[in-house]
Amino acid sequence: MTFPSLAPSSRNFNAGDYSYKTFKSQNGSETRILYGDKRTGMTLDLSYDNIPDNQADDFIAHYDDTKGGFETFDLPAGFRAGWSGTASAIDAATGNKWRYDSPPVITSVRPGISSVTVKLIGVL
Amino acid sequence: MAKVYTGKDGRLLIDGTEQIKVSSWTLTGSLEVLETTTLGDSQRTYVPGVQEFNGSASLLYYNDDADRNDAATALKKVLKVSGITSSDTVSMTLRLVEGTANHDVQLTAYITSVSFGASVGEVSRAEISFQGTGALTAVTI
Repeated sequence: MTFPSLAPSSRNFNAGDYSYKTFKSQNGSETRILYGDKRTGMTLDLSYDNIPDNQADDFIAHYDDTKGGFETFDLPAGFRAGWSGTASAIDAATGNKWRYDSPPVITSVRPGISSVTVKLIGVL
Repeated sequence: MAKVYTGKDGRLLIDGTEQIKVSSWTLTGSLEVLETTTLGDSQRTYVPGVQEFNGSASLLYYNDDADRNDAATALKKVLKVSGITSSDTVSMTLRLVEGTANHDVQLTAYITSVSFGASVGEVSRAEISFQGTGALTAVTI
């Protein structure tokens, strides 16, 4: 199954960085060596507040489908709900795909209603 | 027939017993709502959460000819030497009467606070607050 195509209640995107190493000499000057030409390590935290349990369990089903954090996947456009900038700006950068950074967390709010938080990380 | 209800029509029953010398009661029902607004929505949306019922009443601290004092009985639901247990609930019926018809809201509640005192030139009265537990048991308003 694909990642649930729900509009999140909140979204937190961290753009990640390019792979480079910094060397600092004794006089304080800095040298950086770039090891790749692709940005990676972007993170995406999504919250889905007060959704029906039968939608909340879709996240677990998807988590099982991807063998937890083992397999990578693309996200449906629904996760960008409310974003009017360039779509790719808050998605996995070129060459990257998403995987689970930690297991989805389901908080039961009341009978039949739960909130879900998902933490994803972009990897090459 | 048109009818305006006043304090004269009000009754308060605790555990099925109509309380004597009640000067007021109030009942508040509320509903917690859970926000379901998502990114991209322009208006907030909600689903119903849990309900809550609570209220208060004021009774004169009064002994009738048979030495019955309902205010004291209510006060002793909280003012007691032993602790409060889960069996210390009362059945509250808040009623407006219209001839032989009763308009009731009935609930199971804990009496959560009581206060009473004496002041020069004033009638002593007991103020009680109650917190409903569980669903309403009857609504005939």
